[in-house]
Amino acid sequence: MDFDWSDDNRRYRARVRHFLEQELPAEWPEIARHGPGSKEQTEFSLDFCPKLAEAGFLVPHWPEALGGANGTAWEHLILGEEMWAVGEPRGGQYMNVNWIGPTLMRYGSEAQKDRYLPPMAAGKAIWCQGFSEPNAGSDLASLRTRAERDGDHYVINGTKIWTSYASLAETCFLLVRTGPLSAGKSAIAILLVPMDTPGIEVRAIPSLVGHGDIHEVFFTDVRVPVSTRLGEEGQAWEIINYSLTNERVGIPRYAMSSRVLGHIVADLKRQDRFNDGVVRMRAGEAAAACEAARLLVYRLVDMRARGQTPGPDASLARVATVAADNAVLDFALDFLPEFTTGNVYPEYLAHHERAIVAGIASGATEIQLNLIAQRHLELPRGPR
Amino acid sequence: MYFEPNEDMTALLSGLEQIALGEGTEWEPSGDWSRQVWSHTLDRTLDENGYYDAGAEESLGAIAAAAMIWRLSRLSVNIEAAASAMLRPALGEDLPRPIAVMTDRRGGAVRFLPMAKAVLRIDDDGVHAALLSDGDVRELPTINAYPMGEIVNDALEWRRLDADAGRIRDLWRIAVAAELAGAMRGGLDAVIAHVKDREQFGRPLGAFQGVQHRLAMASARLEPTYWLTLKAAQELDSADAAIALGYTASISTQIVYDLHQFMGAMGLTLEHPLHRWTYRLRHLRSELGGASTNLQLAADRLWRNA
Repeated sequence: MDFDWSDDNRRYRARVRHFLEQELPAEWPEIARHGPGSKEQTEFSLDFCPKLAEAGFLVPHWPEALGGANGTAWEHLILGEEMWAVGEPRGGQYMNVNWIGPTLMRYGSEAQKDRYLPPMAAGKAIWCQGFSEPNAGSDLASLRTRAERDGDHYVINGTKIWTSYASLAETCFLLVRTGPLSAGKSAIAILLVPMDTPGIEVRAIPSLVGHGDIHEVFFTDVRVPVSTRLGEEGQAWEIINYSLTNERVGIPRYAMSSRVLGHIVADLKRQDRFNDGVVRMRAGEAAAACEAARLLVYRLVDMRARGQTPGPDASLARVATVAADNAVLDFALDFLPEFTTGNVYPEYLAHHERAIVAGIASGATEIQLNLIAQRHLELPRGPR
Repeated sequence: MYFEPNEDMTALLSGLEQIALGEGTEWEPSGDWSRQVWSHTLDRTLDENGYYDAGAEESLGAIAAAAMIWRLSRLSVNIEAAASAMLRPALGEDLPRPIAVMTDRRGGAVRFLPMAKAVLRIDDDGVHAALLSDGDVRELPTINAYPMGEIVNDALEWRRLDADAGRIRDLWRIAVAAELAGAMRGGLDAVIAHVKDREQFGRPLGAFQGVQHRLAMASARLEPTYWLTLKAAQELDSADAAIALGYTASISTQIVYDLHQFMGAMGLTLEHPLHRWTYRLRHLRSELGGASTNLQLAADRLWRNA
């Protein structure tokens, strides 16, 4: 075992950090205040991600033939940590590089790879994820948006909701039902739907988490060719599991929490309030929660680096990451009341809002607890 | 950065696993439903096979010692492993064992003293050791799952050791964190087995979501303790040591509460061994100042002088 970074990894982190210090504009903190899912940040990503791509910091973990550098799993993690530590300037494009791209590489047709991977690798693609529906949130397998086969087309009707980035996205990674509801997971397919297809309407939902972050997306007789399907009908659940495991590993949110905690401590020291033993104890508690989350995520990366597929370990890491977000938030609310007032501390406001999202997005904490109970502790299933 | 043990540590832990699952380590109802069972067989086997000295090996070190302590603490039977495996190799002293450890205090009840052959004292004056003979120690009654005692010989001969007290105290933090983490895991494993087996309302307790979520949360809180402890043992960094002990101690009370809750009335008896882990955890939480002191120390190490 070795919990220290290699010299190569240290140098890589220094390079990423130097790039961000040089390239992030002065107004970045104010843009980042709106949060990684905001319209402001997603628009910013269209300027910034091409620069990342140019410098080799967008998809270094992708294969060389697809614009990457065959980077290691650890370099991918370091990149994610540094991006999150500064507030995620990749905006919604983090999804592309972390899981949509790798999912297309594994399951996509040659035409799909040719069409979608180059713009992602260049930092010019915005995607949205059409998963949740008004009556299918945590119970994703009960989704009802239908795709009826009509010759060599599908005709899509239904509604997706709480969809991030939809107003700016060119393509939707859409889950649809191709058979009866009673067929459950086995009658679900994935379609890669251009968002300018007639019949798609996007409405922003006012939300707590940044402006223009989440949307409702209506599909009315939307016709797309069968060639937009990713994999086979009925293969969607396998593909989603692959994607979600990548997504759950892919967001090192504890890096943002850690950074915010460091800023809070610096503020408290400036105000001469860090001499209080209670304050320091609680700072230590928040730091320990961040460290706990960090090590569980590192363990997943280590598994991936050794060619293993993380199982319920990803859920353990997610729960720990949420705990870290909240430990930092609790600390801030107790000892830095100005944390949530005014616009003095943009990164605090962003963290404050993101802490609410932490336990909900990409699989609610309770779903993670179900997975831990069943797959990690191997407890018997209850009635469904 | 890699989380797999090296070849030597894999061999060590594999051997330890065989011993840990061997004769004399499994809980069995004892005639007097005792609150603690000292496993002479296990202790002797480990001693004779050099396990307590493994931490002195270059390819093993403190990280292997921490992993061993964690594994042994999962057992319901009791042995003195933490000081022997973590501190003795670091001190380079061939102290007779079992070893009792006193930190930052001169009196009061100390675990393992009644059977200890040596006692270590770690405080601001440095690290001192004394050999114990009959009559030096008085056993004290206790509800804890450790034999407790106090030194009654005021003329005990303390010998100052050539050791950095700060480093030895950090190693002791790591060792206690490993004991806490292992004992919680041992208790959790016992309760998981129970809720899979025990049926109420026509199904196993473990099939109720109210039970599942609390055990899953306990598991999620517990999982980092092993890694925090091993990382601290490898890095030998003061902040890491304080975080490992502070975090691990801070979650122990809630986890103990939940474990007993899901054992129901069986968890109130001395018939089931859960109490042995519980009353070790109760004691360990108080070692080295408890959770709050160590979390505050972590913040001091991270930020006070930064």
